[in-house]
Amino acid sequence: MTGPIDLLLDPEALNGCVQCGLCLPHCPTYRVTGEEALSPRGRIKLMREVQDHGAPVTKDVLRSFETCVQCRGCESACPSAVPFGHLIEQTRASLVREGISRSALMRIALKALEFPRLLRLGTAFLSIANRMKLIPKQLGLPARLPVRQPAIPSTGQDVFLFTGCVMDAWQRDVHAAGARVLEAAGFGVTPTNELVPCCGALHAHAGLSDDARRLAEKAIRGLSGDDRPILVDSAGCGASMKDFGRMLDTEEAKAFSERVFDIGEWLANHLDRLPEVAPLDLSVAIQDPCHLRHVQRVHETTRAALSPFVSTLIELDDDGLCCGAGGAFMVLEPAMAGSIRDRKCASIERSGADVIASANPGCSMHLADAGVKMMHPMELIDRAIAAARA
Amino acid sequence: MLRDLRRALSRERVRYGAADRTLFAHDASVFEGGLSGPICFPESTAEVQDIMRIAMQHERSVVPRGAGTGLTGGAIPLGAPIVVAMTKMDTILEVDIANGVAWVEPGVVNLDLTRSLSELGFNFAPDPSSQQVCTIGGNVANNAGGPHCLAYGVTDAHVLAIEVVLSSGDVVTLGSVRGESLGLDLRGAFVGSEGTLGIATKIAVRLSKNPPAVRTLLLSFSSMRDAAQTVSDVVAAGIVPAAMEVMDREITNAVENYVGAGYPRDAAAVLLAEVEGLEGGVEIDSQRIVEVAQSNNAKSIHRAESEAERALLWKGRKTAFGAIAQIKPDYYLHDSVVPRSKLADVLESIYEIGARHDLMVMNVFHAGDGNLHPILLYDGRIAGELERVHAAGAEIVRACLAVGGVLSGEHGIGVEKQPYMEEQFSSDDLDHQERLRRSFDPMCRVNPGKVLPEGHSCADIQALRSIPTGVWG
Repeated sequence: MTGPIDLLLDPEALNGCVQCGLCLPHCPTYRVTGEEALSPRGRIKLMREVQDHGAPVTKDVLRSFETCVQCRGCESACPSAVPFGHLIEQTRASLVREGISRSALMRIALKALEFPRLLRLGTAFLSIANRMKLIPKQLGLPARLPVRQPAIPSTGQDVFLFTGCVMDAWQRDVHAAGARVLEAAGFGVTPTNELVPCCGALHAHAGLSDDARRLAEKAIRGLSGDDRPILVDSAGCGASMKDFGRMLDTEEAKAFSERVFDIGEWLANHLDRLPEVAPLDLSVAIQDPCHLRHVQRVHETTRAALSPFVSTLIELDDDGLCCGAGGAFMVLEPAMAGSIRDRKCASIERSGADVIASANPGCSMHLADAGVKMMHPMELIDRAIAAARA
Repeated sequence: MLRDLRRALSRERVRYGAADRTLFAHDASVFEGGLSGPICFPESTAEVQDIMRIAMQHERSVVPRGAGTGLTGGAIPLGAPIVVAMTKMDTILEVDIANGVAWVEPGVVNLDLTRSLSELGFNFAPDPSSQQVCTIGGNVANNAGGPHCLAYGVTDAHVLAIEVVLSSGDVVTLGSVRGESLGLDLRGAFVGSEGTLGIATKIAVRLSKNPPAVRTLLLSFSSMRDAAQTVSDVVAAGIVPAAMEVMDREITNAVENYVGAGYPRDAAAVLLAEVEGLEGGVEIDSQRIVEVAQSNNAKSIHRAESEAERALLWKGRKTAFGAIAQIKPDYYLHDSVVPRSKLADVLESIYEIGARHDLMVMNVFHAGDGNLHPILLYDGRIAGELERVHAAGAEIVRACLAVGGVLSGEHGIGVEKQPYMEEQFSSDDLDHQERLRRSFDPMCRVNPGKVLPEGHSCADIQALRSIPTGVWG
């Protein structure tokens, strides 16, 4: 419990909510609990109570704010376009400033993301420890982390491929597939590697806004003096980098954000450059990562890029409801992340698909942990092209 | 009492923090109750019985609640009652296609039910604009309507039987899945009783077959009068469309900003009309509607060309209220019904009333059944605005009653229209309604202070005495 706190929220953004409740069914935490406090409408009401009426941040209020997955499904559902994502990020930033959020502890954990070599070394240790069953299962580590993977070669100067932090350590094979697909389309690829250690998305979500801004500035510096497109195969990172312009509010940052594309979005605009090959004989359901569907809003391009390469594309029947991964959410709120995932798994089950395609590493890990066969859309395209060449 | 409730349910499912009690103080309307008492999330009929018995033992009132999308304050707490949130009872229990009936728990979301039936070729016909979030229990409480209720009837026509926990804690089943119930139709009394007769814990709904063919027309007009006349003429011509919805220019623009469905932005009014049925029939009916529209100077006529376009047009119509914050942060939504032939005149008076009170008024409504939803826009932060809204609202309600209209089409009375009940009903009428209520709930313990105005409502005496903060526990 605390005294009155100014959350520093934009009053106009807060007032944009008319409390109609149309967001409720699109909120994963409301869906699995039925609790108003765990809905976007409830969270906004509590933000108003704290900011405008001096209500204390009690345990319950903190629970309401901290259990938001930040999927932003409520934003697509909101007819009045309330910028909920920015409201909850600012709320968390204010709680960090007041020292009443667990995010302060997360700062230490997230620090590691800025040191790619350390991260890869740590990953190798974790991987070996995990295989020796030394890591408790509830930590939710992927079953098989890579010990060592070959670096992504630089093949030209047409586009950057953003490699990032955890994904580069844990799922470099996805980057490799993406790079091969880009090459097949005739684009020379420069991996960003040490130029941009981390985009800072997880920091921003946790309310660690100073760290997020610092990392954004670092990324912009790392890729400055250049106007090549920056392609991203992680929906969360892409969404965050497309937001640098708004967050830093500088011309340089805006120009940087203009250069950022999801890799599927980029390929969908260059379909004619991809080789025509026989599609893989697979029924594939697309699991839209929230930050592709609700934030970048380019999820249709995944379908456009992928459809020539697989025999059947299936839509899940859950209106793009979150899978419960939410970056750090699956580690911080494992029980709720699990309940949300159960809904997604039921939808996947009904679809009857052989493989689920997800363009975000977090979703893939979270769903793979429940035994779902996951692939990145780039891995599927890569495989179809390779099969044709074999 | 808190201890008893927590023993009966569980600690996590009985919430009493200030945060939750604040959240449950309101629904989607402008009305605020006080802080609620404990909030219970039951998961079974037995738990609802326990809650009722504990409430009786401690002489406390009980307010049932669904998704909180009500627009008349029907689910707000008055006098710190126990709030019974039904959202965790959200299981579709049984679907019996052969007999055209499904048993559902009250917390099932309306659209979830229809979606789960779509594979089988069926749906639940009432489709309130809030159907993506509102619950079947809430639909029953308010006898909810929706655009397509023009052809298929409102919730009452689609509910066969209801399992109800009475204020005594006893369970009764009203109505029957096997056709007409024996004796008086108590099911009919319960539907639309706004939670004042008991708490529904299982509902048997009628399943409707999806139509083989649908045509959706988007018509626009240079005047609201032409649109209203078209609606009236279509029905007079003997056509029964599945839905006829009208939106004025301002709300159409707000909606179009959100959905981008291709609604014309420059028309004074747009009419969304839909006909369903056999292929041949819908073709003829849609052609006839076009002719009627043309004879009323339609400005543009467009047929939805794909299911995707149709879905987008409906998404726009059904999210209209939520889009208002694009223009003003607050709104007050009315819900009165007037004879179709009077639509154009009443709409003119509504705009005039708004102008006189210096308020922006928008109209989006179920034109086919004369159900108006005038929306008064305001900014609650500006002193005096809400008072003007209430004054204008009262005039609008009276203007509707004056032409033979009624107080509510589908949102219910709640606390919002209580003050007008005496203008619609005689004192005798209200006394009889109160007797009906007392026969279910002698002490008026369930949702007291709603629907029936003071003086005709027992309750209100004891259940509403105000409870100072912190008394529970």
